[in-house]
Amino acid sequence: MLHSLFLAVVEAPAAAAHAAHAVAAEPGIVEKFGLEWKYVVVQAISFGILFVVLYWKGIKPTIAAMDERTHQIDAGLKYAEEMKNRLAATQQQTEVALKEAQQKAQAIVAEAQKTAKEFADKQQKEAIEKASGLIAKAQEAIELEKKKMLAEARTEIARLVVATTERVLAKKLTDADRASYNETAARELTGV
Amino acid sequence: MAAAAKQAQQLARQLFKLSVVDNVISTDRVAGVLAYVEKHAPANAVLVLKAYHRLIAVELAKSEARVEHAGTVAPAALAAIAAAMSKKYSRPITTTARAHPALLAGLRVRVGDDVYESSVSGQLAALALSV
Repeated sequence: MLHSLFLAVVEAPAAAAHAAHAVAAEPGIVEKFGLEWKYVVVQAISFGILFVVLYWKGIKPTIAAMDERTHQIDAGLKYAEEMKNRLAATQQQTEVALKEAQQKAQAIVAEAQKTAKEFADKQQKEAIEKASGLIAKAQEAIELEKKKMLAEARTEIARLVVATTERVLAKKLTDADRASYNETAARELTGV
Repeated sequence: MAAAAKQAQQLARQLFKLSVVDNVISTDRVAGVLAYVEKHAPANAVLVLKAYHRLIAVELAKSEARVEHAGTVAPAALAAIAAAMSKKYSRPITTTARAHPALLAGLRVRVGDDVYESSVSGQLAALALSV
């Protein structure tokens, strides 16, 4: 292909000279094909009008529609990219919010656990104090009851001893004993 | 009512003071007081007489030593008690004896509200209280 073009270029001047001689000698191609310039001009004008009409009615709207579609596609792509960025930002914000919420939840749980532990400790302390108080009161009551029982037993024993002694003395004391005791008592009372 | 009782009490005390001569209740003075009350009939005469009777009874009780005893008591012992009490209260005090077997042995002497006791039951009671 390149070789044939090269030959055509090299041989072109010679061919042109030969053609010039031939043209001068023979009728032109215009005459051969019967071309008339007025028809060519008319055809050119018709083609121009057709081109203008086609361009105005077909090509231009098509190009405009293609431009509009291209613009819409670009806008869609741009919108999709923006949405993608927004989605990424939203995901990032969501992750941050989730992380913060998780931290807050952990803090709340820790605070609740701490409060629960303090409350349990307080309850336990109060229960221990209450139990200690009850034990102390019970011991005190037991001690008082013990003292009361001992006192009652001592009193009862003394009463029984006195009653027994009185019965024994009532039987055993003779009149002489009583008279002698009465004399002693009289001496004691007169000494008052 | 309270004011009337107070006035009756005051009048009874005045009448009681008139009835005592040398720390001893005089029967003549008491008779005179009763005659006065009967004659003049003061206000609230019943209340006055009740209060006067109570004062006389208390005073008579102070002049009498009631001796409770278990077993026999020699008259000399009673006389000695009367003398001792008269000396103690600075007034003549007589004794009246009454048997009280619950004492077991010993004496209990009451002069007014004062009680003197030397008896087996008293000592046993003191022993029971001290235990």
